[in-house]
Formats: sequence, C-alpha cells, structure tokens
Amino acid sequence: MGKIVYAAAMSHVLHPDYYGQNVGPHGRRMVEELIAVVRAMGRTLTSAAPDALVVVADDHLNVFSFDAVPALCVRVGRSVNRMIQADAIEFDRALDGLPERYPVHEDLANSILETGVQAGFDFAASWSAPLDHAFLSPVSTLYGDRPVAPLVPFWVNCFVAPQPTAQRCFAAGRHIARVVAEGPWNVAVIATGGLSHFPELSLARIGQSDPAFDRRILKLMEAGDSEPLTALTAKELHESGSHELLNWMVLLGAVSPARARVRFFGEMGRIDLAALEWDVA
Amino acid sequence: MSRYETNVVLYRLKKDSAFRDRFKSNPGQALAGADLSDEERDAFVRWDLRKLNELGGSLHLLVSIPGLGAH
Repeated sequence: MGKIVYAAAMSHVLHPDYYGQNVGPHGRRMVEELIAVVRAMGRTLTSAAPDALVVVADDHLNVFSFDAVPALCVRVGRSVNRMIQADAIEFDRALDGLPERYPVHEDLANSILETGVQAGFDFAASWSAPLDHAFLSPVSTLYGDRPVAPLVPFWVNCFVAPQPTAQRCFAAGRHIARVVAEGPWNVAVIATGGLSHFPELSLARIGQSDPAFDRRILKLMEAGDSEPLTALTAKELHESGSHELLNWMVLLGAVSPARARVRFFGEMGRIDLAALEWDVA
Repeated sequence: MSRYETNVVLYRLKKDSAFRDRFKSNPGQALAGADLSDEERDAFVRWDLRKLNELGGSLHLLVSIPGLGAH
C-alpha cells in the first residue's frame, strides 16, 4: 500500500530579482525569507524519500494556448523538459541554469490518468508540455543540488474562464489519494501558486493582494476545514486574485482531512506569499 | 469568436519574435490579416492594455509579452 509521505503548498515565483525589480527591497527580502523556509521544507521532503513527486500547478499561457485549454491535465511520458522561451519575462528567468530534463514517474502518471478517466474525470493527457516557473521554481528550491524525484506534473486551468470548480479540483485530489493508496509507491504532493495577486487590470484594486481573504483561507487549512474552501466560487477566487488556489484545492483533496501548518506567510502589498506543510505522516 | 482572435494575436506576440518585431514597427500593418473588430484592432494599435483586457485579452498574456508587457 502506498502513501502520501509529504505534502506542501507554496508560492511559485521564488526569484528575488523579480520582486526586487517590481516591488522593491522589502519584496526582495520577503521572498528571500520564503526561499529559506522552502529550502528547509525541501530537507523534510527529501528525508521522506518519495518514489514520486506530484506537482499541481497552473499554466500561464506559456504551454497551452487558446487553441485548447485543458481543465485538468496529467503529464505522461518518460521525461519532461524545462520550458525554454526566448526573451523569457522576469519570473521565468528563475528557470535559467536549471537542468533541461526531468524524469516523469510514468507508472503513477498513467495510473492517475487512466483510473481517473475510468472514474469519470475527463483528464487531458500531454506527452510534450514543458514545465515553466510554476513547477520548477518550487521544485528546484526544494531540492537544491539533490536529485529530483520522478515527477508527475498536473495542470489546473486557473486563469482561462470557465475554470474547473474548487469542488472538482478537490475531487481530483481525492482521486490522486486513492491511486496512491492502492499503488505501491510513497508519494509526495505539492501545489504551487498564490496567494492572492494579479486582479484584472480593469478592477479598481489593481495590483493589490487581499490579505483578509488569505488569512481566512489559511486559518481554514490550519483547522483542516475544507468544506468552506470547496464552496469558494469562481467569482470569489477571481475578485480576490486567488485563481491559483485551485491548485491548492487538488492538494487539499489529496491530504484531507490533514491539517496544515503555516511555515511562512508574508503580506507584500502586491501579492501575499506563503508556504504550508500538511501533517500527513 | 473575437475573444479567441484577440488572444491568438496576444499569444503570437508572446511567442513569435518576428511577428512581435513587425508589430512594434508598424502595428496596423502587422495586424492587417487578423480577424479583429475595429475596436479590438484600435486597442492593439494604441497598445491599450486595459482595453484589451476588457475585450477578453488574457491578463497573463498581456503581462508576459517580451518588451511590451506591463508589470
């Protein structure tokens, strides 16, 4: 019987230069503090020795275009490349210098995909999608120079309406938990992104985060109270700039009813940064 | 379908550096073959990010076009 041996969620632009240039010295300092916490979390992750690492993140229209936007997509195949983009904008420069190819845990990825479709989840499959900062900035910070566990990248459409519901993302996470429980592997799961940021330009509160919203959802996670989280609507997520919380909902489904421990929370004004671990052991 | 076309142009601006260069030097000409409404075309030519966003342009595309994105 397999088990989830480690679970965490964290912001996914772990790149001091980006915040230094766009927010200023306090932004740089705050993300450096977060990076130190994520590195420490990485030591816990590697000591749990997972056979595979499921990474739940979103596409920023780097990989998928409006020609087809999968609601939920499992990356299958044997390996996955780092996204290489000429003239990459600042937050994808976090990828510069990282390895160009990572192993995929093919058996776990196929199990999640195939049993998911049998169970009624119309997951998309990709054999070729590369990984952008949403995946590799946290993974590389967690692992440092240590070898990265075989990955199962899992995309959630957080940004192109209509997005999957919070409830559906949570259910996809429950499915991942069942696959892990029925399989032979010890698996780590991380979700990335957030917290609230990037409200649409046309909103009055341009560029500001919603700390009250973020504090409320962190408290619910600490209490292991996922019901109010699964009830969050697309409108609430959109207005608070919390689109990427959908990634976290998959993780919550995978670990429920475990409680979160907030390892880092910082209010930057433009985005709230966070890193959480769940008590799954 | 315009929302689609607007985002197709934005995606191309992000991914296709030759098209981006043509757009920067002469936006009207670069967009001559694009299936856009007059309002959309005008927003592109003026590079009015807020208007493009209101017309359905994805914020993540608008902020990530090299040399043109607004962060």
